[in-house]
Amino acid sequence: MMKRLLLIVLSLLAVTALGAQPTGGVKGTIVNRNGRQPIEKAHLILMQGAATVAETSSAEDGSFFIPGLADGMYTLVIDAPEFLESQVQVTVNDGYVKNMFNLGLTGIQRVTDVDDDSFAQFDMDDSGYNDNPTILFGSNDVFNNIAGYNFSSVRFRARGYASETQDVYLAGVKMNDAITGYSPFSLWSGLNEAMRTKESTNGLEVSDYGFGGYNGVTNIFGNATNVRKGLRGSVLTNSTLYRLRLMGSYATGLMDNGWAFAANVSARLGGNDWIDGVYYRSFAYYLAADKVLDDAHKLSFVFFATPGQRGAQNASTQEVYDLVGDNMYNSNWGYQNGKVRNARVRKTNEPIAILKYDYTPSDKFNAYVTALYRFGKNGYTALDWYDAQDPRPDYYRNLPSYFYDANPDMNRNNGIKNGWANEVWSHPDSYPTLTHIDWDRFYYVNRIQTDDNGLNRSKYIQEQRHVDQNDLNLAATFKYRPQDNLTVTGGLNARVNRTEYYKVVADLLGGDYYMDIDNFAERDFAATPYKLQNDLDYYMKNGSAQVLHKGDKYGYDYYAQVRNYGGWLNAEYTLGNFSANLGGRVGYESFWREGLMRKGLFPGLDENGKKLVVDGVTVEPTYENDGSVVTSYGKSKVSKFMTFAGKLALNYVIGGSQRVYANLGYFNDAPRFNQAFLSPRTRNSIMDDLKTIKTFSSDINWQYSGNGINVRTTAYFTTIKDQSKIMSAYDDLQNAFSNFAINGIDQQNIGVELGFKVPTYLVPNLSVQGVLAAGRYVYTSNPTMTQTVDNSAEVVMENVPVPYWKSTLLADGTVKQHYVPSTPQIAASLGLAYNYNYWFIDGDVEYFGKSYLDMNPLYRTETAVAGPDNQVTANELAYMTEQEEFAPAVLVNLSVGKSWYIHYKYQLGFSLNVKNLLNNRNVKTGGYEQTRMVDNTVSKSQYYRFDSKYFYMSGTNYMLNVYFRF
Amino acid sequence: MKKIIYAIAALAAIVSCQSLKEEWQPVFTFGDNEPAEMKLWTESDLSKYGFGGTFTSIKDMKDEYEKKTAMEKKMTSGHTITSNTWIKGQVVSDDRSGNLYREIYLQDATGGIDLKLGKSSLYSDYKLGQWVYVNCNGLCIGAYNGMPQLGLEPDNTSTNEYETSYIDNQYIINTHVFRGAYDTPVAPKEVTEAEVKASLSAGFKGDLWGVLVKVKGLKYGNQIFALVYPHGILGHKKDNPYNRLFLSDAGTWGINTWSMSKAKYIEYIQAGNFDAGVIGSGATKYGNILTKPIDYKAQMGNEVITAFGPDAYITYKEMMVKYATANYVSHYFKMGTTDIQVRTSGYAKFADQELDSRIIGGSSLDITGILTIYDGSAQLSLVTAPDDADNPSVKIN
Repeated sequence: MMKRLLLIVLSLLAVTALGAQPTGGVKGTIVNRNGRQPIEKAHLILMQGAATVAETSSAEDGSFFIPGLADGMYTLVIDAPEFLESQVQVTVNDGYVKNMFNLGLTGIQRVTDVDDDSFAQFDMDDSGYNDNPTILFGSNDVFNNIAGYNFSSVRFRARGYASETQDVYLAGVKMNDAITGYSPFSLWSGLNEAMRTKESTNGLEVSDYGFGGYNGVTNIFGNATNVRKGLRGSVLTNSTLYRLRLMGSYATGLMDNGWAFAANVSARLGGNDWIDGVYYRSFAYYLAADKVLDDAHKLSFVFFATPGQRGAQNASTQEVYDLVGDNMYNSNWGYQNGKVRNARVRKTNEPIAILKYDYTPSDKFNAYVTALYRFGKNGYTALDWYDAQDPRPDYYRNLPSYFYDANPDMNRNNGIKNGWANEVWSHPDSYPTLTHIDWDRFYYVNRIQTDDNGLNRSKYIQEQRHVDQNDLNLAATFKYRPQDNLTVTGGLNARVNRTEYYKVVADLLGGDYYMDIDNFAERDFAATPYKLQNDLDYYMKNGSAQVLHKGDKYGYDYYAQVRNYGGWLNAEYTLGNFSANLGGRVGYESFWREGLMRKGLFPGLDENGKKLVVDGVTVEPTYENDGSVVTSYGKSKVSKFMTFAGKLALNYVIGGSQRVYANLGYFNDAPRFNQAFLSPRTRNSIMDDLKTIKTFSSDINWQYSGNGINVRTTAYFTTIKDQSKIMSAYDDLQNAFSNFAINGIDQQNIGVELGFKVPTYLVPNLSVQGVLAAGRYVYTSNPTMTQTVDNSAEVVMENVPVPYWKSTLLADGTVKQHYVPSTPQIAASLGLAYNYNYWFIDGDVEYFGKSYLDMNPLYRTETAVAGPDNQVTANELAYMTEQEEFAPAVLVNLSVGKSWYIHYKYQLGFSLNVKNLLNNRNVKTGGYEQTRMVDNTVSKSQYYRFDSKYFYMSGTNYMLNVYFRF
Repeated sequence: MKKIIYAIAALAAIVSCQSLKEEWQPVFTFGDNEPAEMKLWTESDLSKYGFGGTFTSIKDMKDEYEKKTAMEKKMTSGHTITSNTWIKGQVVSDDRSGNLYREIYLQDATGGIDLKLGKSSLYSDYKLGQWVYVNCNGLCIGAYNGMPQLGLEPDNTSTNEYETSYIDNQYIINTHVFRGAYDTPVAPKEVTEAEVKASLSAGFKGDLWGVLVKVKGLKYGNQIFALVYPHGILGHKKDNPYNRLFLSDAGTWGINTWSMSKAKYIEYIQAGNFDAGVIGSGATKYGNILTKPIDYKAQMGNEVITAFGPDAYITYKEMMVKYATANYVSHYFKMGTTDIQVRTSGYAKFADQELDSRIIGGSSLDITGILTIYDGSAQLSLVTAPDDADNPSVKIN
């Protein structure tokens, strides 16, 4: 610091002594970071504090020169169309011209940013599976730059990792969902301009913003000065999700008074060409202000939300898809009074408020503290019905296969019924009330359920399941460079999350009221009214179940309480071309359930710890394995975990253009709330023997960047042990939600990544680009499984081994390995990219292979394989344990775009992306096995699976974006 | 260049406007959009489906059963009606209480018929007293242990025990069963012992089967009959006698409820009520569940034991509990000298309701229900709960 002060003083003295024009200056060349091509007409602003000192543009060869500068510290702001705005600090000393040499700008993803909008909203709530892809960022990484957008259509997961292992930060706060761990891109979906500026790391790399895990860290800045200055507007249309996106943004940039303001609004509206019933009616707004108090202090405030709704897509069996002749059939919608209505609509309005304080006392130290609060409503509608026929059109009893099956053992032999079902499903447009949800019938039925008071008790309603978060986060992060070759980063974080799970009556569908009764329990306990009560306290107080009207809570209501505290530290030491990182993280995490509604089936004890007396009868409690009382009400046992992790990274730069680096990491992470409770909707019961998840991960990388060539290749190896999982699926044999708790899942992910972009040299501005992700993601353990049902305290299966989970030894001695599902284990892309004068044309061919269906543990138990006769045959073993491998897919995509700079002031441009030009409609992107077996057979010697359900990728589709900026 | 810009702008505008027109409107996201009242069919509407203007009486339609072809007899099938035959009747049953399941009974002046629709919660769609028109062409009239039923041709299952199958398929229901006007519910027909006996003598052709009746002066017979299938997955027909447990010929077996829900069934098993239950069928009698001190299953032959698969090594009682489901019970009542069984499903909401002590004590009863015939015996199925607040099916005199 003294040295710096001395220099400044000496400089001032020198300038004063000379009494002449300053002779200092700044020069350099603006280049594309990806390929090093010069960037013409980049706009450069040189600032000192909040004052603009000079403005200029880069020449045709990208060069610039700003002369006549006094000694001092400056900020150079560089902006160019199609590139992220960049700021660099410049110090002019002793009147010299500072040569910055090449200043690289990062290109904006040309077609569109990959975000939550890139994926259809899959309706997985009742299946027990999740199918969240990884969203890859990092346009400074050649692999991510190409794979991020191209692979999103097949819901690619980087390195086969679950999407929740990808750490996503906003303004320095880790935003992964506290309950599920999912990356919450939907929270800012539609605010692309506001959230455009981000930094990403890959794999195990430590970020300046957080320690991260083994699947990269992305930090979105989100504050006002990081929104591109000026007024921008765009119109986007696409054919797979919504018809129209209108977006506008305005940012002042940092003004002389130290303030910066930014706003971004958008609307996404309409349906699409491929999936009926899927639509958007989503809006978004963002307001932000930054105030630079002085050189050292800055305050930022951000407030945004994306209120709106979007229809969801459901999975169906191949039988349905084949009959209707459309793999994009969606069973979630039907006609109501002639208009399309979707039963499964996600409705959200979750504002986020951020207050951030940045402290930068010197160029050696900076720190920030962020407080972030998320609140609001997040609902998901669904049909609910009481003592009425299952309304789902593709319910298995409505399909031809229910009436006839060529296998005589299935005992399905009625040709007439089969024939008529075939006729109906083969002509869905002729029989819309049978092949889609029959909304009108719900009204008809509800209107004739008249009680003694002349009111109609609804049999069918639309409910809205809420997951409303109150999520308070505090994060403090610093970066300190005590000497030129040592950088220390670290931080502290705290999270208090209270998420309320409940449901409300969303629509009575023509009726007057609904009753808060557990109709699943009614089947078994009709003679014991208190057991049917969803809200026993209400029943005890009023003598009857609550009469429900629109908006009333019912069914279940509980808090998921999560507390996370932690800290991390990372040191980077540089010695010549060699650098090393060593870091660690520790944390304390806890969670518990807090029941707000006392359910009749699991009433527990009263507030004094005494047995309840209901209807004059003493209710005998049931007990957990540890002797505690099974209860739906009050606070559960608190699960507590100490977590820790360590990382080591070694990095060697060869000749300025090559880099070899390797990472090692070990993680001891807590399970999450949604992996722990057996049946959180109904009771406090928690999985026995819940363990932390242990992960070892390593990678080695080589990167080349020079002469317009970019290459990155990586080899990685990861083992993950002691994972747990809860799957809940509606089981109409049990007439209840059935819960499968799986404990002790281990997996191994090994593979390579390659990304490259190389000029052809034959044709100017034409490059060859490609990526390859080849992995082997396998299960390495056989877990145990516990099955419970929501309407009984009885444990159906307890800690039953799942011996055919990781693999099956077939009768002929071959071993059938089972794979980590829901992502292609081989994904490749090869294409050409042409760039000239703000035109770009990209075309590529992609290949996806070795993608597997998510497995059901029930089918891999001894019980399922042996069948009713307890005899394991070779056929049963192969049939019941088999994991489906999806057929490989080849896709061809084309992108084209152009932007015009008008009067050096306005920019108009468009981008058009056409995916799947071959119109391949048979690409499975995910799905799941139903957790049910057919046991009503002739031979009584084996069980049969229920048909699996699938999601498919749409055929040829486009996205057109037209934008105007000034 | 300007042309290109204008072209792009125009294209974007067209696409946007088109989307406004075509796709915003059909998406139901707000406002009132409720459908109009449901259309109820009238006789004049039915010509669209081939109605010729004349209804056949239910009695005459049932007589079609006698036209069974040789092939139908060989196939253990009822008779599939191939003529343009239509019946109409009022709904006299509902499944609200859960005692009747997947069927409704229609009644006209000549009798009643069990219409095997094959869907659950039919009371949501078919109201008591409502007129229903049935196009019988393509449907099948058959008998189940002597009881007339109207459904579809049999499913041709491995056991082949039914002459008809549930219609089940919504398209076939929609094109054969038409809901007409709502009307006053039909009053139960009061029947005498002589009328019941006459119907029993007539067998399938008895006038009372499928009719809503009130039987007066019944007295409890202190006897029940139930046949339960201990193993939930194994076959339970006559070729699997080890999976059949008879609760008969020995009073009430301690069953004092109208039937047995799953929970009540387990309670009875664990209380030892069924320990003396006879396992077997016809000539093959294995013995009782429990021959103390060991479980009877252990005394069966090895072939039988292995048939129980993974459950071979648990006791018979444990197996019964493991696969417990709700089970029906038939209580015997006396109408003079004629036995009438009141058969109640274990899935009825009143299944676990105890019989009133006055019933067991021998009070005279008036019972209302659907009268059916089963293997030459008269059975009553209660439509409402015995003590239903609005419409009790059992009146204790």
